[in-house]
Amino acid sequence: MAEATATTEHVYVPLWRVRLSLFWKSLRTNWAMFSENPIGLIGLGVILFFALFALAHPILMNTIWEPRVYDPISGYDMEIPFHPSPPSARHLLGTDPLGRDILSQLMYSTRYEFALGILSAVVTVVIATTIGAVSAYYGGIIDTILMRLADLVIMVPFLPILIVLSALTDVGMIELALVIGLLSGFGGTTIIIKSQALTIKVKPFIEAARVAGGSDFHIIFRHMIPNLLPISLLYMMFVVTGAIFSEAVLSYFGLTTIQMSWGIMINTTQLFGYLLRFDTWYLLIPASLAITLLCAAFYLVGRALDEVVNPRLRRR
Amino acid sequence: MTKPLLSVENLTMHYTTRGGEVAAVDDVSFSLHEGEALGLVGESGCGKTSVAMSILRLLPDNARILGGQIWLGDLELLSLPEPEMQKVRWGRISMIFQAAMNSLNPVYRVGDQIIEALELHWGDISRQQARERVAELYQLVGLDPALMDRYPHEYSGGMRQRAVIAMALACNPDVIIADEPTTALDVIVQDRILKRLTEIQKKIGMAMIYISHDIAVIAEVSHRVGVMYAGKLVELANTVNIFERPLHPYTAGLMASIPSIHGEKRDLVTLGGEPPNLLHPPSGCRFHPRCARATGICIEQEPPFQDYGNGHYAACWHPMEVDYGSH
Amino acid sequence: MWRFLGRRFVQMLITLLLFQAVTYFLIDAQPGDIADLLTLDPNIPPAERERLRAQLGLDRPPAERFITYIGNFYRGNLGVSFQEYPRPVIDIIKERLPRTVVLFLTASILSFWTGFVTGKILAWRRGGWIEYASTITGVTLYTVFTPWFALMMIWLFAVALNWLPAGKFLDPLKWLDAPISANAVFARMIWSSFFALVIVFVGFWFSNRVPRRQRLVLRAASLLVPLVGMLLYWRLSGLGFYAWDIARHLILPVLTVTLIAYGGTMLLTRTSMLETLREDYVLTARAKGLPDKVVRDKHVARNALLPVWTGLVFSLGNSVSGGIITETIFSWPGIGLTLLNSALVADIPVAMGTLTVVGVMTLISHLIADIGYAFLDPRIRYH
Ligand SMILES: Nc1ncnc2c1ncn2[C@@H]1O[C@H](COP(=O)(O)OP(=O)(O)OP(=O)(O)O)[C@@H](O)[C@H]1O
Ligand code: SF4
Ligand SMILES: [Mg+2]
Repeated sequence: MAEATATTEHVYVPLWRVRLSLFWKSLRTNWAMFSENPIGLIGLGVILFFALFALAHPILMNTIWEPRVYDPISGYDMEIPFHPSPPSARHLLGTDPLGRDILSQLMYSTRYEFALGILSAVVTVVIATTIGAVSAYYGGIIDTILMRLADLVIMVPFLPILIVLSALTDVGMIELALVIGLLSGFGGTTIIIKSQALTIKVKPFIEAARVAGGSDFHIIFRHMIPNLLPISLLYMMFVVTGAIFSEAVLSYFGLTTIQMSWGIMINTTQLFGYLLRFDTWYLLIPASLAITLLCAAFYLVGRALDEVVNPRLRRR
Repeated sequence: MTKPLLSVENLTMHYTTRGGEVAAVDDVSFSLHEGEALGLVGESGCGKTSVAMSILRLLPDNARILGGQIWLGDLELLSLPEPEMQKVRWGRISMIFQAAMNSLNPVYRVGDQIIEALELHWGDISRQQARERVAELYQLVGLDPALMDRYPHEYSGGMRQRAVIAMALACNPDVIIADEPTTALDVIVQDRILKRLTEIQKKIGMAMIYISHDIAVIAEVSHRVGVMYAGKLVELANTVNIFERPLHPYTAGLMASIPSIHGEKRDLVTLGGEPPNLLHPPSGCRFHPRCARATGICIEQEPPFQDYGNGHYAACWHPMEVDYGSH
Repeated sequence: MWRFLGRRFVQMLITLLLFQAVTYFLIDAQPGDIADLLTLDPNIPPAERERLRAQLGLDRPPAERFITYIGNFYRGNLGVSFQEYPRPVIDIIKERLPRTVVLFLTASILSFWTGFVTGKILAWRRGGWIEYASTITGVTLYTVFTPWFALMMIWLFAVALNWLPAGKFLDPLKWLDAPISANAVFARMIWSSFFALVIVFVGFWFSNRVPRRQRLVLRAASLLVPLVGMLLYWRLSGLGFYAWDIARHLILPVLTVTLIAYGGTMLLTRTSMLETLREDYVLTARAKGLPDKVVRDKHVARNALLPVWTGLVFSLGNSVSGGIITETIFSWPGIGLTLLNSALVADIPVAMGTLTVVGVMTLISHLIADIGYAFLDPRIRYH
């Protein structure tokens, strides 16, 4: 539809604007559907909460939190004789064994969790949509090779590879995001996106573009991929969950070079031997709960989006 | 007349939906005698399947039976406890479903699915006897008995259809309800299966309710015909009278829309207007927005379902010619 | 069927080779090499280092080294551990693999079975607080941060209630004068449970073909016989005490992995049941007069099982991760813990070996899942 408007009318309307307005329209109808689902809304609420949580950190650091005391990595509170210390008015969630404020660590880490999740999701989606579209468009041997590859990657267990990899190299946030993005981009997500691309391939506007003499490249990137974006967006959610989870596990095992993250917080707790103690619950529970909640939130949003994108699941 | 085998009296059934109440079956009454084939005809969505499902009490959760009685001999089905009802299902009334193509469970052999019903209703029957019965049924519907050990996906559409009919016949039910059993098939197969079904019905002498939106098919199969419109039974008569002397303008319209069974050509008249919306059915006679004969009373009052003699019933304030004499 | 299996098997071998190639070159691409790592000790003179390098074949071109590596691998030579020098890697794997397989298999079967059965029942009981509670439980178990969950299990059962040991394979104090090694006891535990399960399975399978009255007797017998047999065996051999110690250590990890995997299966079963309920053959089954429970179990659940089984295949990767995490937290000395420990101390041969074993295990589980699917779905079986 969008293509037809843009090419037949001679008034020059940039394609991206047509697309944007269409996108906006579908976004609104989809939002109506999405907002009917309490599960998705809860997830979205949690994500928003964490986003605000992350944003609040630099503000607090610049206003009421004195960096010498509250810095998540190098802070130390000298007024408290013994660390870790339980929650108090000065430290709402207490301090860790190194005398650092736990709330500050929690908030500081949040933005990196988001960055990690989003970066790996974007990598996944770029790879998966490209491969999915190319594979569906060309079919034949290219399709076979790419899909066999995907079958292979699916079978590869994620975490062990990451563990071995991080034993060999220094793995930081960016490396981690790239590896996770690559592995999930070549695996399951591709297969699902390709099956979607197959249904788009047979739509009339693709045929029209071909008849109009569009090159393969043009058709794939201008016509197929934009139509694959909704479903890609959906799978981004699940990738985010996987990425945050993997980072937390690896950091907890002490396999990353990340300075501060929720996983590192648990790792610190373990290093100092407070892991299984009831009295120092504030060392373990806030970070673990944060990981669980954020992962669950993205997962729930993904599930709710799934009901919007896949009508088969919709409650009738 | 002898006592009917099955009689439906003033059945009313609604679906509750988000948009409101759907009056899918409204005050429907008819009866079925032994050995008789009753056709039920009407546009898509007029409530034919809903009537059938009410008889078997297989309605979805959002359906509510608001009134009426269904008698099977001396049993009142609507008030029957569930375990008793389970014995009636298939044992006494079986059904061939609209989506007969998907009526077979893909993971079990077709024969076993028939045997399942046999073992349930005939109790102590050995596996060997059950298999013999299935073979017999297969021959009856024109299937090779060797096929009974195959899975549904190995059957063609027509074969599945026959298997479903065989399954419906399995326990020698008193009544078979066939809900558009042939719509998914191509015309030739459809015709063959229809012939076989009427043959069997005659041979075994069971009673059948045959549901279709295709009046030509109904004509071929049934002794009597009930015409449904928007959840109501608007006319009921024997097949010849329905075709020769329709009383209700809707029936007349339906008749006019097909070539006559006697071969003389009639004009194809299409019914104007929209099929009714059962969420907000029209007042008075539900057919009035589309009826050429409608007058003020049609809009205000519902016409009664009246006997015009000869077992010919209709619900209309201004029926077409009545030539049975007064009653 | 056989052709399907054959094709699947070949595919699996190719996948394994590719997997090995990728991991091998991944490691090979790292700066420095094994000899560097092995001889980090500055006291070792460079000449010695060179000798080692030649001995390990590290001066050959990468492709040749890879072929040597693969050749050695399939001859069972996985090198020697750095950390436990000079213990062969294969030896370590032989010791640890059974522990992982037992943990993983028991938990997978338990979680699949319980998840399927409860999901099935919950789908039948829609609405109300049961549905809410079960959905929340399911989602929580599915998304909870696994290490935390495992820690909480230890916290509850080992620390607070003190019912079960907090981790490890056994309690060394109890084994001071054990007649045979723990691994030998464990092997006997595996074999005896295997035979017991076979008896139960055959008994139940056979009970479906006898008249109804004898059915119950046969089933009871096939449960009792192995139970009594097991008791007698462990009693008479005098090893019961030791076997019980290992079993006690096994309970908590199994429970944890089971619960982690349970949520996903339960949720998936429920969705799948609700979808299958709409199928026409379910209506037919009800019309046939089958009692509700038969419709549910024989017609709905049997078909709903297919997507759940497929889901199982897709979640295998998760289960493997969950297994590794659980092993680590419970210090259960299986493949997962070994993999992590070797990674932490850069014991490359062991890390490579265990990683490959994990890969092989995943592949085999996929194969089993595929075969299972073919058995469950006649449309595949007779393709
Ligand atoms: N489960 C349901 N919930 C709500 N409304 C329903 C339901 N099933 C059917 N209806 C509505 O009830 C009316 C009667 O449906 P029914 O299936 O009985 O019609 P039908 O005559 O069998 O039509 P067709 O020829 O298409 O099979 C229709 O308007 C339909 O939309
Ligand atoms: S009652 Fe009136 S509106 Fe209804 S069919 Fe008869 S004439 Fe038409
Ligand atoms: Mg119908």
